[in-house]
Amino acid sequence: LLLPRVCAALADPRQPGSDDTCLEKLLDWFRTLTEFDPSVKLLQDNPCLTEFITSVLALPEPSPSILSFTLRLAGILAASESRFQHLQQEKLLVMLFGGDGPLSSTVWEDASVRSGWVEGVHSMMQHQLALHFICNGGGMDVIFALQGDPSLFVASAASRLLVHMLILSAESETTKHPSTKDCDWPACAQMIIKHIEDSLQSNSASHVEQSLKLLTSLFGSCRSTWTEVLWLGIAKQIESFLTEKTVQVQHMLASLLLNMAWSPVFCESEGSFWALVTSALERLTPVQAGPLAVGLLRLYKCPQDVRIQALTVLLQPMDCILRAASQPLEHAGLLDESVSDPAAVESLLSSKSSCASLLCQTLAHLEKLLCLIHLPVDLPYASLLRSLVTILQFCNGFLSPTSPLGSTISRILINCFRVQRSALDVLAALSERIGCDTLIGSLFDVLLAYLESPNTSPTVLKKTFQATSKWLVRLHEVSCSNSQWQQTQKILEDVFLVLQKRLCSPCWEIRDSSLEFLTVLIKCLRDQDEFRQSLLSSEVPRLTENLLEDPESYVRASAVIAVGHLAFITYFAPESPVVGNQYNKENTVAKLQEILSADPEGFPRRAVISIFTKWLRQGCTGPLEDTEQFVSRVIQTVEYDLDWEVRLGGLELVEVFCSQTICQLGPPECSYSPVSSAITSSVHQNKLLQVFCRAKLFRFLFRSLCDCDKPVGQRACDILLALRGSFYPISTLKDSQEAGDSPAGPSIAWLQRTLRQGSLAQDFPSDGGNGVDFGDPESMLLALGTIDLEELHDELNKCSDHVEKSPQSLLQDILATVGTIEENEADCY
Amino acid sequence: FPEMSHLPCLCWGAGAGQDVGRSCILVSIAGKNVMLDCGMHMGYNDDRRFPDFSYITQNGRLTDFLDCVIISHFHLDHCGALPYFSEMVGYDGPIYMTHPTKAICPILLEDYRKITVDKKGETNFFTSQMIKDCMKKVVAVHLHQTVQVDEELEIKAYYAGHVLGAAMFQIKVGCESVVYTGDYNMTPDRHLGAAWVDKCRPDLLISESTYATTIRDSKRCRERDFLKKVHETVERGGKVLIPVFALGRAQELCILLETFWERMNLKAPIYFSTGLTEKANHYYKLFITWTNQKIRKTFVQRNMFEFKHIKAFDRAFADKPGPMVVFATPGMLHAGQSLQIFRKWAGNEKNMVIMPGYCVQGTVGHKILSGQRKLEMEGRQILEVKMQVEYMSFSAHADAKGIMQLIRQAEPRNVLLVHGEAKKMEFLKQKIEQEFHVNCYMPANGETTTIFTNPSIPVDISLGLLKRETAIGLLPDAKKPKLMHGTLIMKDNSFRLVSPEQALKELGLAEHQLRFTCRVHIQDPRKEHETVLRVYNHLKGQVVLKDYSVQHLPDGSITVESILIQATAHSEDQGTKVLLVSWTYQDEELGSYLTALLKKGLPPSTS
Repeated sequence: LLLPRVCAALADPRQPGSDDTCLEKLLDWFRTLTEFDPSVKLLQDNPCLTEFITSVLALPEPSPSILSFTLRLAGILAASESRFQHLQQEKLLVMLFGGDGPLSSTVWEDASVRSGWVEGVHSMMQHQLALHFICNGGGMDVIFALQGDPSLFVASAASRLLVHMLILSAESETTKHPSTKDCDWPACAQMIIKHIEDSLQSNSASHVEQSLKLLTSLFGSCRSTWTEVLWLGIAKQIESFLTEKTVQVQHMLASLLLNMAWSPVFCESEGSFWALVTSALERLTPVQAGPLAVGLLRLYKCPQDVRIQALTVLLQPMDCILRAASQPLEHAGLLDESVSDPAAVESLLSSKSSCASLLCQTLAHLEKLLCLIHLPVDLPYASLLRSLVTILQFCNGFLSPTSPLGSTISRILINCFRVQRSALDVLAALSERIGCDTLIGSLFDVLLAYLESPNTSPTVLKKTFQATSKWLVRLHEVSCSNSQWQQTQKILEDVFLVLQKRLCSPCWEIRDSSLEFLTVLIKCLRDQDEFRQSLLSSEVPRLTENLLEDPESYVRASAVIAVGHLAFITYFAPESPVVGNQYNKENTVAKLQEILSADPEGFPRRAVISIFTKWLRQGCTGPLEDTEQFVSRVIQTVEYDLDWEVRLGGLELVEVFCSQTICQLGPPECSYSPVSSAITSSVHQNKLLQVFCRAKLFRFLFRSLCDCDKPVGQRACDILLALRGSFYPISTLKDSQEAGDSPAGPSIAWLQRTLRQGSLAQDFPSDGGNGVDFGDPESMLLALGTIDLEELHDELNKCSDHVEKSPQSLLQDILATVGTIEENEADCY
Repeated sequence: FPEMSHLPCLCWGAGAGQDVGRSCILVSIAGKNVMLDCGMHMGYNDDRRFPDFSYITQNGRLTDFLDCVIISHFHLDHCGALPYFSEMVGYDGPIYMTHPTKAICPILLEDYRKITVDKKGETNFFTSQMIKDCMKKVVAVHLHQTVQVDEELEIKAYYAGHVLGAAMFQIKVGCESVVYTGDYNMTPDRHLGAAWVDKCRPDLLISESTYATTIRDSKRCRERDFLKKVHETVERGGKVLIPVFALGRAQELCILLETFWERMNLKAPIYFSTGLTEKANHYYKLFITWTNQKIRKTFVQRNMFEFKHIKAFDRAFADKPGPMVVFATPGMLHAGQSLQIFRKWAGNEKNMVIMPGYCVQGTVGHKILSGQRKLEMEGRQILEVKMQVEYMSFSAHADAKGIMQLIRQAEPRNVLLVHGEAKKMEFLKQKIEQEFHVNCYMPANGETTTIFTNPSIPVDISLGLLKRETAIGLLPDAKKPKLMHGTLIMKDNSFRLVSPEQALKELGLAEHQLRFTCRVHIQDPRKEHETVLRVYNHLKGQVVLKDYSVQHLPDGSITVESILIQATAHSEDQGTKVLLVSWTYQDEELGSYLTALLKKGLPPSTS
């Protein structure tokens, strides 16, 4: 009923244009509708759709956005052969996509119309009929021209369309498999291939680029054998771009060759393809060849000699750095001189405009490789580490070598944040790989210098922290094996000394990163004696506690997390090395409680609740009675919190508490797993219910079901369902639900009604009122059994905007907007 | 150069008309790439909400390609995609914004994240930790502070009005510059001042043009209207709901109501529903210098952001009888508290909801603004909206008059209009071109505009060369430009003009002599040495050459300064002698003169 009215409204030129997002969503809807039903029924049942297209076509001056919408809609509808024919019979497709349609009118100047045309064609391009329609109707030339469209979107959509059409044509139209050079390509494929060949031979860089782009995406997406036949026809031409350089398109060759290398069609071929790749690695500039090299190194099927060549390209800048920094003969570089000619790289590194970008690119590639779990090549890790340390020393002015290249590079790199950041990233990634420990001393010298230096920018400092924490863990492993305890101890002391200073930085970003660093260290190294001793004998714990009162909420939150973790090595540790009453557990808990109840901002409160949950999980909250009190106190604090994530955190705490308590009190066969096994013994059941009631968790859970923030309600419902599963084995549930004549029955029925109102519920009852007694185990048992939690669960699990997102709602919105549009334009939030 | 392209927005909207789009502009200026704003589209829940950054660079990392990102102000259509860009797409370079924007931006991002998480099925969205990590990468800047991004690229912020902390940015590389306005407002309002930029004559001014043709009615009228409506509703015992985003409009309306309540001595309570208010108001207090003069003046007596009448809201208050005014988040009635209160109050015709901002499709706010009065709610319930629904725009953009005013202030050489409706922009474009005689562009989304400039490139001249030139006796005179010869050395992005000798020395090159030669045929049957003697005498007799040293060398050749003349007999015709004249390029004038002279032939022999 709505659709005809919407169609009529959209086609009415007197109505002001509709919101673009509405039209986009309308197309989304049609796309899903047509995807599952290829029949023509949709058009027959809804004649308004063809009427709409007809009336838009009849408009003397259609608005670009409506015309674009119509083109795309028609394309979506024409995706099935039957609907295509239906639209063809009405001559609609010719009028929309043919030469006399929008193509030849002034609206074509509007990019949105051209985009609509390309997208429409792309959508319909699912069958041969569409292919012939476009090929025979002069559409190909339009698409070829659109590859060079001034709009980035149209140009790349046209390129994607050609790839799609080529694949469609080559794979389904072929009668004779095109496996030989002079095969018969189907008509459409032939047109496209001819176009590619012609433009590759043209002298226009932009035409060549368009074709290279097309080939790149073709080889990236299609792995059929016919691609090789296509390639054979153009290989010579492509090769000439490398050797002759009359057209400047070298920068595009790397990604083309890489996509080919990843295609089984080419990577398993012998000879010529790999020879071309090798030649590209030699002839492209280091910056152009870098991405190709790193891509090849990730490839398992790459021939060994190509791999060595690629490795050479990748490592050459690092090699130059090492050689530039060292006295003659002191260190050999990374590479064997015989395979590399460093002149090009050296000249790039000694130029101010290219040095940093070449290094950053190389470092990024190295990081990418190091992050792979299985690396097909062995990198020279020790030399890499040395060159990274050298780069970092150049950057902070610690190294000013005498060689001309070295002194030039060091002058360029000093204080270069970009290179520092990239080098530190690689350094962190390298920690996972390396086995050698000879360089650890100088590595930490550099890291500490960065941590100390006032010139280190906050972002660089953060990366230094990340690298340091990784290497400290590594250092620990190394010192375990070679018992270099003293070195480790010294480094740790130095690190904490610097950390002390950084915790007092005037810059909140630095204080925050320092706290995050501390937390990471504690997480990784809390079992190590030397670590604990160095940490506790420093001022770091005291300063961390002070930061609980930081003016910046992000910092307070990080301080809470750090203090929470510190507790694991102070009062929660079984053999706590603490001396004196410096670390008072009650004090800390009270401080965190205070933050939870009084901090004006959400982040610190969220941090506290997450730490409390962590403590509870790790069994740090003492015996059951203490834990019960603790949980009860926390619940009462967070129940009314304004921040939904704090309330959600509270529910998580409750969940952990429930499963732990059930495991403690429940049958012995219960393992530490989510609440699952039913509690059969009524003694246990009573005891459990009493604990939960005393901890006041039922009121919190039921109240949360009515929370105005959906995730809270969902979580509470999940927990209640799990609890019910524990108290009511599935077989007994049915009977108990019918037991409605208990004294608490009416109040539970009322609760059920209230919960159905969801977030609109008024006056949620508190204990002792005339409503429900949340502290009474029996009532609660009844509530668990009676209330239809499944229904609530289903309701809560719908998106909060599921109604607004429905197609019906969308159609209503379009209609309503079209009717009443005012000048409430262009306002933002 | 500079090349600018409007970044990928998959929505092909005609602009900001009905479409709260995202701002994201890429500018290339003298080899530096700068991204201006990184906004999100609130109308979508999928990939389309963020710009498609893969268009920026096909191969290579964004961090390597972009030199910096600049955020003009805290509205989500200008900064909403930033955590996605820096933490999920992986941009790791510098990000600049003003101090208030840096402080307020995360609050709004957090607010929005909450809404998306609330809607089930939302994936690919940033987390709280990502917002924080992103903010830690931000470098905050002061107004009028020149920030050196790297050795060549510098940026400077100017006051833009619009919202607290909004700034226009000048981006400068060498002598070329671009000014990006972001959103701005040329008339001061209740809490902010007017935008201002100095006469920096940029090569290009990129201006928003949201209200391209509208000459807006005064904001005062809209404010009076707003107060009247609130007052009337409260007087008849109704409740007023104002859905807002935590920051921005909310504070402005709070000041408005606070002063009105004070003046009218009203008693009905005003509540603000969110826990974020305190922080938000805190920032308004902290950044008092960014507000307008009036607020700053009154600050001495009383801080305008310490509200006497506005109190924190508890959800139980919604069910209380009697009049009240409640500010609740979120602003489009998508979910959460504002929607909850709306559902409770909608059925009563005495109540009113005032929407102070635009709402995207797919929200309850959008539905009621488009006039729908029967809304389907969860569980197939129908909610009948009997309460009054009002839309009031308080947004502060420059209108056509304001845009012209800014162009007059900055005196750009080119103007580029963004963020507007094509038709209106076309009108404004013509006006700008007529009045200021500058080119005005209005590219569609995804289109690149290239602007050519004539950069004046400073060149250093070596002292030696200058001295030599002045030694010739010509003192520099600005009115009489003169030609100066030298060698231009371009190295490390600097240009120097030095004497050729110095250039050779610096570059370690050997000097090559360039000589021109010319053969002149003379009819003279005598022996070669006699011909030479005749030539020598002829030259000696020239008055023009009396200051030059003309020599007859023992080897039979003649020199006039660097010019060398030799004679040989013609191989086939002994009666013709060939004079070989050669000279260096420095003596080009003299050489030409001599060959011309000799070509005329020798005077008849006297002997």
